[in-house]
Amino acid sequence: MDLTFTAAEEEFRSELRSWLSANIPQEWTRPGFWESLDDDESFRLRRDWERDKADAGFAGIQWPTEYGGRGGTPGMKAIYDEEMVRAHAPRTVNPLGLTFLAPTVMAIGTDAQKKEIIGPLLRNEVVWCQGFSEPGAGSDLAALSTKGVRDGDDFVVNGQKVWTTNAVHGDKIFTMVRTEAGSEKHRGISMLLIDMDQPGVTARPLRQMSGASEFGEVFFDDARVAAADCLGEIGDGWRTAMLLLSFERGASGISQYTEFRRQYDEIAAVARTLGRDTDPVVRDDLARVLTELECLKLHSMHVLTQVEQGRDLGFEASMTKLQWSEAFQDLWEVYDRILGEHATLDTLPDGTDLRPLHGQAMWSRSVTIWGGSSQVQRNITAERVLGLPR
Amino acid sequence: MFFALTEDQQEFGKAVRDYLAERFDLAAVREVVEGGVADGNPASLWAAAGEQGWLAVTVGEEHDGLGLGLVEAQVIARALGAGVAPGPWRGTVLAAEAIRLAGSDEQRRAWLPKLAAGEAVGAVSHRGDVAGGLPAVEYGAEADVVVGPSDPDLAGLSLLTGATATPVGSYDGTTRLASLSGGTAEALPGATVELQKQLTDRATVLVAADLVGIAREALTRTVAYDRDREQFGVPVGSFQAIKHALADLHVGVTMAEHASLYAAHAADSAAAGVLDPAEADLAVSVAKAKASEVALQATAAMIQYHGGIGYTWEHEAHFFYKRAKRLAGQYGDVAVHRERIATLTV
Repeated sequence: MDLTFTAAEEEFRSELRSWLSANIPQEWTRPGFWESLDDDESFRLRRDWERDKADAGFAGIQWPTEYGGRGGTPGMKAIYDEEMVRAHAPRTVNPLGLTFLAPTVMAIGTDAQKKEIIGPLLRNEVVWCQGFSEPGAGSDLAALSTKGVRDGDDFVVNGQKVWTTNAVHGDKIFTMVRTEAGSEKHRGISMLLIDMDQPGVTARPLRQMSGASEFGEVFFDDARVAAADCLGEIGDGWRTAMLLLSFERGASGISQYTEFRRQYDEIAAVARTLGRDTDPVVRDDLARVLTELECLKLHSMHVLTQVEQGRDLGFEASMTKLQWSEAFQDLWEVYDRILGEHATLDTLPDGTDLRPLHGQAMWSRSVTIWGGSSQVQRNITAERVLGLPR
Repeated sequence: MFFALTEDQQEFGKAVRDYLAERFDLAAVREVVEGGVADGNPASLWAAAGEQGWLAVTVGEEHDGLGLGLVEAQVIARALGAGVAPGPWRGTVLAAEAIRLAGSDEQRRAWLPKLAAGEAVGAVSHRGDVAGGLPAVEYGAEADVVVGPSDPDLAGLSLLTGATATPVGSYDGTTRLASLSGGTAEALPGATVELQKQLTDRATVLVAADLVGIAREALTRTVAYDRDREQFGVPVGSFQAIKHALADLHVGVTMAEHASLYAAHAADSAAAGVLDPAEADLAVSVAKAKASEVALQATAAMIQYHGGIGYTWEHEAHFFYKRAKRLAGQYGDVAVHRERIATLTV
């Protein structure tokens, strides 16, 4: 067993750490700073910062150098994710473009697509949305009804997408569109790369229960897209989507552990402030969650090992999602129980501002829904991993 | 980064599992459970444990052992748990660990080669004391040498030989228990308080690994049954109520496997002075809390998702369930280890 990173990986870590400490403004690390900004201001700050970070060479860590990436190891990517959390760096503005679209384009994109899409993604010059879910197609993605009709070299697209992250700030959207009239289920769908800055596309924010508007809905009314702007073959969008979603497997649980463990410590501090840290029920609750978080860390190290060995993780991503999302949600349920009569108040009697923590508690309700709900993940685990009949 | 079993370690585990599958299956376990083997330690299985190095795993090469670590020992423990295998393997390995780490040169020479070869049976107790008696010791009656606390304040450890054994009844028929009194005690000179804690943690890791093996096997057998068993014209494993429960168990068992593996590594690393002891404490308690919890869940699910047959004496589910019940309480139950985790982190 070897739980260390290589010398080159550790060197990368110290290089990155010194850049971060010199470039992250002190006020960003203040609890509640990001929550205090409005969505547009938050987006602008993060976009600028990410451009600077890319200019300093800290983008596309694992992407091949031919695409302008750093050509780093999986370990370097894990270190990068972890150090971002440690430094209180803000979340990326382009999660869907960076995590999903870029590796898919590298794998199956045309030469023109590789050239046009990947470079700008490195510096976040183009922010990408993902157009999958529809009002009538959530977990049942294949029920989607957004239509694309061929018109010369273009498709004309009509329909609606929902729960679209960055809908209002997005520049382009990779969209699942039914391009074969009368086709059913996963047949006849194409993955079209649609420009959102055109008269046929309207984006509206959706306000979440937390009050923030990170996602929205996107309407296509005779939106136009060139047939050449199809990722993968026309009509083969389901396969493209499955390939695209498979890149979630690289998502780093080690950085999630680092973030959640810090939140655990903050919640334990609240318990001490309220004098509830000696309550045996509270202690048992906290220890149960901590156990799951430690398991998440070990599981992430196991996944990283598998990746480094070049093994196919198969459907293990569903297990990773279940472990982190359920443990995270449990953590914030414990937080609510610790607060007791203070559960919904903005501040504690000693003046502690609870709003940043409340924001995470609200967010925890969403994590077992997006990216494949827990129920869908359990179906996948049961059928694809355990081999139970459909 | 390499957090996994090496090929050699995997082979070691597979050898134990293969032996049990071919030579000591659940029919053989049943014979022991139903009292067909007087001392609860079937001769063929014990001979294999000696010949194949399962007992020699952590004993140093200078005493005819394999000189491996707790990681390899937990691989064997997991395989034996999966086979609900009877016999004093764990007690013998742990007695050898106490003698290796706290014994005099003479004590090591006297006992380690015999324990490693299966020529002597060992047992351990972390409760009671050698003067006043040791309660409910695993294979206490069969042991040639027993390691127990020297006095009620848990200061020091002693080797006990020639004690009088009184059988203790238990519904887990895969293990025999006996309380011990009298006999001749001889101190282990190196048994400091810190070392005693280390030995208890090593025992805790091996019990956790047994539980992890039980849990995985209970789940695997249940999945296999529910793939075939039909009701309402379809396999019951096609119903989501069952699928979701089994999927959650698969996640839980996998996490317990990770935790047991890391706890073994952490305990060895802390003993070697290359890891903060507090981190090893946390790792051991995480492993035992998780393994106990998930083994209880998986074995209860094994009964439930076999339907009525799972509740019968003739089905093997109760071997797994009863062994999990007993071991979940050994060396600290879920609540005890969560309290230790809270002490370390709240």
